[in-house]
Amino acid sequence: MFHVSFRYIFGIPPLILVLLPVASSDCDIEGKDGKEYQNVLMISIDELDSMIEIDSNCLNNESNFFKKHSCDDNKEPLFLNRAARKMRQFLKMNISEDFNLHLARVSQGTLKLLNCTTKGKGRKPPSLGEAQPTKNLEENKSLKEQKKQNDLCFLKILLQKIKTCWNKILRDAKEH
Amino acid sequence: MTILGTALGMVFYLLQVVSGESGYAQNGDFEDAELDDYSFSCYSQLEVDGPQHLLSCAFEDPDVNSTNLEFEICEGLLEVKCLNFSKLQETYFIKTKKFLLIGDSTICVKLGGKHITCQKLNIVKRVKPEAPFDVKVIYREEANEFVVTFNTSHLQKKYVKDLLHEVVYRLEKNENDWMHVNISSTKLTLLQRKLQPNAMYEIKVRSIPNTNYFEGFWSEWSPSSHFRTPENNSGKMDPVLLIISIVSFFSVALMVILACVLWKKRIKPIVWPSLPDHKKTLEQLCKKPKKNLNVSFNPESFLDCQIHKVDGIQARDEAEAFLQDTFPPQLDDSEKQRLGGGVQGLNWPSQHAVITPKTFGGESPLRCLSGSVTVCDVPVIPSSRPPDCREGGKNGPHVYQGLLLGAGTTNSTLPHLFPFQSGILTLNPAVQGQPLFTSLGSSQEEAYVTMSSFYQNQ
Repeated sequence: MFHVSFRYIFGIPPLILVLLPVASSDCDIEGKDGKEYQNVLMISIDELDSMIEIDSNCLNNESNFFKKHSCDDNKEPLFLNRAARKMRQFLKMNISEDFNLHLARVSQGTLKLLNCTTKGKGRKPPSLGEAQPTKNLEENKSLKEQKKQNDLCFLKILLQKIKTCWNKILRDAKEH
Repeated sequence: MTILGTALGMVFYLLQVVSGESGYAQNGDFEDAELDDYSFSCYSQLEVDGPQHLLSCAFEDPDVNSTNLEFEICEGLLEVKCLNFSKLQETYFIKTKKFLLIGDSTICVKLGGKHITCQKLNIVKRVKPEAPFDVKVIYREEANEFVVTFNTSHLQKKYVKDLLHEVVYRLEKNENDWMHVNISSTKLTLLQRKLQPNAMYEIKVRSIPNTNYFEGFWSEWSPSSHFRTPENNSGKMDPVLLIISIVSFFSVALMVILACVLWKKRIKPIVWPSLPDHKKTLEQLCKKPKKNLNVSFNPESFLDCQIHKVDGIQARDEAEAFLQDTFPPQLDDSEKQRLGGGVQGLNWPSQHAVITPKTFGGESPLRCLSGSVTVCDVPVIPSSRPPDCREGGKNGPHVYQGLLLGAGTTNSTLPHLFPFQSGILTLNPAVQGQPLFTSLGSSQEEAYVTMSSFYQNQ
């Protein structure tokens, strides 16, 4: 019995202490006056939006990401944090140098303004998706192309969501 | 105890050696007493070459030996941690697209890989715009003003778009007397009256960021532009305006003169018509005969006259009575002429009034005699000869052309007249028994009374 109490005393509290920072995210939004967003981030978001050329029906598709994460009240920093991290994945697409720079500016700039202290900072961002097992070259090409279109579609929606969330933050900051 | 003391002594000695007092120099590698001032200043120019930005740094002390010195920027960059500067003479610069433009960056001076001095700065707070260019000055004569326009490359940029421009101008002979004007657009208007006439001016422009996010320094001055103000034209008028004003003046003067001259005769009667004066009106209607009016009862003198037939207007009885009394029997009854009353034109046209019945009659005063025609006009047309004028008196109707008999004539004169007229005076055979002079007497009397009353009233 003595060893059982030791397990509970010395086992569980440290576990709680370890898990607590992972579960919580402490983001302090800087730039609530909107200067950085309006003069820098918004320009890059618009540039990216103009660079992405896809079908208009793309916006109707809802990804699982958006079902899980949304810019709800009091959750704006968290959503922006997740969205900014997600954008990093698109750097691998190597569409163009300017595309990557604007993408990096939006992602890095958002994270810098959020000044979040989550433990998952250093984690490697998950990949966009695993490659399908290729059957032949032609199918591979078409699959890649389809995947690229899907990714760009997701990025376009993501950019719109980020813009909307920033506008919401600034509007709330003005009201308060 | 001894060991302790020895240890302490060694410690102090080592401290003294390691500390490196100022001014200590062994092999001359280190500089003299004071450390060099490696302070530097930087400015940035965004989108200076397409999407690329420029960051330039230079030492504030021009005497610094920058042979082996390097500059490095870290933080505030995209995709990389640090970037090295390039060197151009005494200036260090870096041209890249990888500025984050959010947050601070750290710029360090390195010597041999070691950081000598570092400075934290925000690139967006040290923006130096590009100098404006293409300064033009256009004179607008109609508005008496100078329009200054210039161009800036920042109009097409994405980040630093809003600038504050400072326009300065001066008289060329006044070296340091600059006038300053701050504007946010690329157009400025200078009023001519605020400038000296017939003088040469110099003008130039520079810019500074004017946003709530981007801040920085004044740009370099634009190339100067020169313009000359026109001469003082206060006493000089536009030639067209001058001609128009002269013509208008003379027109008005002419109208005033004409108005004064024609006031009484033409203008006043129209503007202020006077009540008609009956006496004057009648006088105008019946003009006095000429002095040398040739009144003759010689029929031959009336050969050229238009003779109008006098048809039956008056009572037939009167006419017959009149004719019986006055005319000689040789007159044909069928040629009774109705005199007075109504005188009608014959086949030939008559334009003149002839004797009316009122003027004839037994007791009617024959006012219109030679030289004293006052009531009616007695035009004599010797040239217009009626076609039947020379024919016999009995053939065709002949009319006694309106020869009014003057006032004062008595009935006794009448027989004198008519015998002469026997050749001329004919009777209209168509008119028979019409009472010519039935109402002649009373109407003549009435007319006489009426007319005479005018003279009495006079």
